[in-house]
Amino acid sequence: MFELTRDIYDYRELIWALAMKELRVRYKRSVLGFVWALLNPLLMMIVLTLVFGTIMRFSIDHYAIFLLSMLLPWTFFTQALTYSVESVVGNADLLKKVHIAKVVFPVAAVVSNIVNFLLSLIPLALLVLVLRFPLHWTWIYLPVPMLGLFLFTLGSSLFLAAINVFFRDISHIIQIILSAWFYFSPIIYSLDFIPAKHRWLFKLNPMLYVLNGFRLSIYYGLLPQFTSVAMSLACGVAAVLIGYGVFRRYQESFVFYV
Amino acid sequence: MSRQPAAASSSVISFVDVVQRFRVIQERPDTLREAFARFHRRRVSYHDFDAVKHVSFEVEHGSTLGLIGRNGSGKSTILKIIAGVYRPSAGQVTVRGTVAPLIELGAGFHHELTGRENILINGLLLGLTRREILEREQSIIDFAEIGEFIDSPVKQYSSGMYMRLAFSVATEVDPDILLIDEILAVGDAGFREKCDQRIRSFRERGKTMIMVSHDMEMVGKLCDRVLLINKGELLEDGPPEYVIARYKNLVEHPSSVPVAQQG
Repeated sequence: MFELTRDIYDYRELIWALAMKELRVRYKRSVLGFVWALLNPLLMMIVLTLVFGTIMRFSIDHYAIFLLSMLLPWTFFTQALTYSVESVVGNADLLKKVHIAKVVFPVAAVVSNIVNFLLSLIPLALLVLVLRFPLHWTWIYLPVPMLGLFLFTLGSSLFLAAINVFFRDISHIIQIILSAWFYFSPIIYSLDFIPAKHRWLFKLNPMLYVLNGFRLSIYYGLLPQFTSVAMSLACGVAAVLIGYGVFRRYQESFVFYV
Repeated sequence: MSRQPAAASSSVISFVDVVQRFRVIQERPDTLREAFARFHRRRVSYHDFDAVKHVSFEVEHGSTLGLIGRNGSGKSTILKIIAGVYRPSAGQVTVRGTVAPLIELGAGFHHELTGRENILINGLLLGLTRREILEREQSIIDFAEIGEFIDSPVKQYSSGMYMRLAFSVATEVDPDILLIDEILAVGDAGFREKCDQRIRSFRERGKTMIMVSHDMEMVGKLCDRVLLINKGELLEDGPPEYVIARYKNLVEHPSSVPVAQQG
């Protein structure tokens, strides 16, 4: 953990430049540019609200806000993983030529998506106002669930980036795993919809704890209980410990396999 | 490998009995299925290949060292060990001071980004801080003769402009030790002259350089000392004229290489 923090600090300028590069490349040559970071979640929300709010008729008040409060952090999670899984392999040219801490690549992938995620909160806040939904004071509590989410994403990213060097299947499997994980997490529905006898199974999902704080503070206007916060941070720290452990264990061999 | 700040000691690079072993796996398990299959059969087919075999040498502060040898002899591997890209399998490597590789120029360039954006990223990759890069930005652009194209994406550059920009960034980093891998054939005659000048000024300011080249005329002109590498072994270590003559002899009569050189 200490080494990771030191590397991130030492390479902060490079990480930031690489993250900005990723965003710039992502939006280059598109007419709307950075506006897409704002527009994307909004368009996705329209589709999902139509499907689940109008056609499937979930009886949830202000379903759009209910959904978006978890969908945005989830989208961040999946995009960060999609980018970072390829981050080491994709920078093979550089790894073979200069000596730099290899964590900069997955970290930069996560950072660029953090920027994207923070931008996407702007249309959400606007939507809340437009729909005359209360803008709860608990929004100011959001940095806490964000910390859990960012740590969890960073750990998963380091893990995937490392093993993808040795098994390229990971980048193919990951999309399928993520979409299964999406339906398994209470994002489009609420955990209350699950029969009580099956609920224990859903509680094994770390994403439940990581995402929980977002819905509580944005939709319900509540502060999560202490245990819930502790669980979310614990999941984040555990993910970083495992992910970075694996990454560090194998990083010296990356150059021979990329 | 130990990396230390530049010191007063005269030797800035030291290799003691360095071995770089590559595990060449036949049909390396690149996918999970293959890994499982291999695990199941409990058979791994690989052989070890030593790209660098028990090489020892020292480089004096402020000297220019040439590495020559035929293709695949291990010259570039030695350069990459100095750069810290490979961790040697055995032996002791000490490098004192900052190292900047001029290895295959423009590796860090992104085609969609402009020249200016690429200068920043490449400079950071080579170990400069953002502020240092901004201070040097104008002289990098001037030296590379890019002009108004600096704010266009580098994919629109001619290959000459691309190489000039890369050379300009790498040399503007001003490291203690500069690694040069066969790149001086950059640009037209005028630009080559500027490159030569820059290399010479590097030397005059007491910087250390290690260059890999097949251009014997240049090696003879620029180097104080030359190492001849053959099949991963250090065959000869001495003044340029002598080692270059040995190399020419080696190329013309490959069979005359003494086989039992080590030991």
